[in-house]
Amino acid sequence: MTMATLERRAVLGLAGALAAGVTLAPGMTLLAAPAERTEASAGRRWAMLIDTTQCAANCTACTTACRKENNVPLFGEPSRDIHWIRKVEIRDKDQRRPTVSLPVLCNHCENPPCVHVCPTEASFIRKDGIVLVDEHRCIGCRYCIIACPYKARSLVYHETKRGAESNPDVPIRSKGVVEKCTFCVHRLDNGQEPACVEACKGEGKGAMLFGDLNDPRSEIAKRVHTVATKTMRPDLGLKPRIYYQGL
Amino acid sequence: MIDEFAAIEGRSQGYWKLLAGMGVLLLLGAAAFIYIEVNGHGVTGMNNTVVWGLPHVFAISLLVMASGSLNLGSMSTIFAVKHFKQFGRFSAFLSIVLLAGGLTVLTLDLGRPDRMLLIMLHMNFRSMFTWNVFLYSGFTVLCFLYLWSMFQFPQYTKAAGSAAFMWRFILTTGTGSIFGVIHAREVFHSAITAPTFVAISLTSGTALSILLLLASFRLTARELDLRLVHALRNALIFFLLLVLYLLVVEKFTKFYSPAFYAVETWILSGSFAWLYWGGVVVLGILAPLGVLFNAKWGNQVGGIAFSSGMVVLGLFCFVGFVLIAGQSYPLDMFPGYEVSSVFQDGLEGSYAPTLVELLLGLGGIGVSGLLYLLGIRFFRLLPRKAVVPQGWDVAWRP
Repeated sequence: MTMATLERRAVLGLAGALAAGVTLAPGMTLLAAPAERTEASAGRRWAMLIDTTQCAANCTACTTACRKENNVPLFGEPSRDIHWIRKVEIRDKDQRRPTVSLPVLCNHCENPPCVHVCPTEASFIRKDGIVLVDEHRCIGCRYCIIACPYKARSLVYHETKRGAESNPDVPIRSKGVVEKCTFCVHRLDNGQEPACVEACKGEGKGAMLFGDLNDPRSEIAKRVHTVATKTMRPDLGLKPRIYYQGL
Repeated sequence: MIDEFAAIEGRSQGYWKLLAGMGVLLLLGAAAFIYIEVNGHGVTGMNNTVVWGLPHVFAISLLVMASGSLNLGSMSTIFAVKHFKQFGRFSAFLSIVLLAGGLTVLTLDLGRPDRMLLIMLHMNFRSMFTWNVFLYSGFTVLCFLYLWSMFQFPQYTKAAGSAAFMWRFILTTGTGSIFGVIHAREVFHSAITAPTFVAISLTSGTALSILLLLASFRLTARELDLRLVHALRNALIFFLLLVLYLLVVEKFTKFYSPAFYAVETWILSGSFAWLYWGGVVVLGILAPLGVLFNAKWGNQVGGIAFSSGMVVLGLFCFVGFVLIAGQSYPLDMFPGYEVSSVFQDGLEGSYAPTLVELLLGLGGIGVSGLLYLLGIRFFRLLPRKAVVPQGWDVAWRP
């Protein structure tokens, strides 16, 4: 065996190891990262009821609270900003009913098309029905954004950085992956309500009601069964868990 | 008659120029990828309404043509048109290189391409993307087996060719279904979307094969019997009529139901109508048919090549229309209501592709082009001369 052969082998081996490392390392690191999903109870079905008659057009308490709680930045580009929750104005095309302002967010559907189309199972349904995105598994294919009928998902187009006002309990938004509302799952697991609901109760008029649909004693279960409510695009068969009252 | 196969010499200045040209495209594509990877998709024209842009148009067009390029091989292996046997190797190889180009762009346009390995580790079998991973890799393997059998084991060519033939239909159905199955998107949610993709793969694959055969034979001074080109012209006419038929049936069905009036009117007269009428219908179907049906142009190599060029461009317009218009049409979140918000709800999506996206897409063409040029240089893919017996002629001519 000549020196030249040995050197060639060494170079080839090194190149192979390097290539394997470059290919596998990001995946290996990310595989270890998914957060624990142990707090969810299969018996619960979290849902939200929004009373549109109590939602003021000029109130953005819910969207502001969401941004602050979840480190959702504004890039100043309307088409690329990330919106976990947004205020939408809807006007009856026949002009028979007044204009309504209401928040739109992920509907945490029972049959979520985003979960169905996700090739890596990065989008998944937690035991308690919350639809989440595993940011460490998302490859940024954006198929879920195409599939969602509520425009509830956003791709993070720019790098984001943790600032002095960032919430340390929540990660910053990661460039190249898809983001959406989590129902403030970190708060739920600590027995708190989502930040938007809390803000609506405080600064707003209490238009948002959050709770467990499977608990017949819960306020939301009672309201959903006694008051006329609507969901977005029920014809799609997705069984959304955001109910609107007053539409 | 099947003549002996031979690799091209590949020593001419023209060959090296073509090779360099494709190499430059590949390098530009690589540079564009790195630029997007470092800076994020913010440097593209994409946004949260139009999330799939020009790179996807290139990628999916190449993948559709990959499936269609197998036509020439299938003509001999499946439909026993033995005069096309001499193009079998070319056909299978072209499918592989187009697939390589398309998949390269598709994977490099991911938000996190460094995680693409995760597709192999965590599979969601309800996702059309997951199915497409199997369909693309399976098609590549079958094309390799088909090619290999043609080189060394002709007794297995029928079996391998038949498997690849069936697979390509499923493959393109899978590609079309990426769009067709999405209920939320009114522009492309339809059972006929996937068959239309299959039909358009037949037109564009045949057209690209015609262009490449004409160019390859002419530039290497090999003989290509005009009657073979005429036979391909007839196939192209048939496939174009098939696409036209599917488009007409779709519009007829949709316009029969008032529920689709709004979206269909938008398609035919809205802000992307120029792409639909100009690119898909006129450039992709009617103009090529007009030329091919013409008694003079339809029998000339120039006329057939020109039509083939239009058909290939028409494919890009079709995919561009499905993708960009399909995403731009506002989601109907509250039927019966007009909606508006800071997130541009209720508005048509806007999308202006940037240079970096164009370069990434062209990089895919560079990959395919480079592989094709190297393939015909190092493998015996093309016949020394492609001829048919003396008394044989096509059944119909314009």
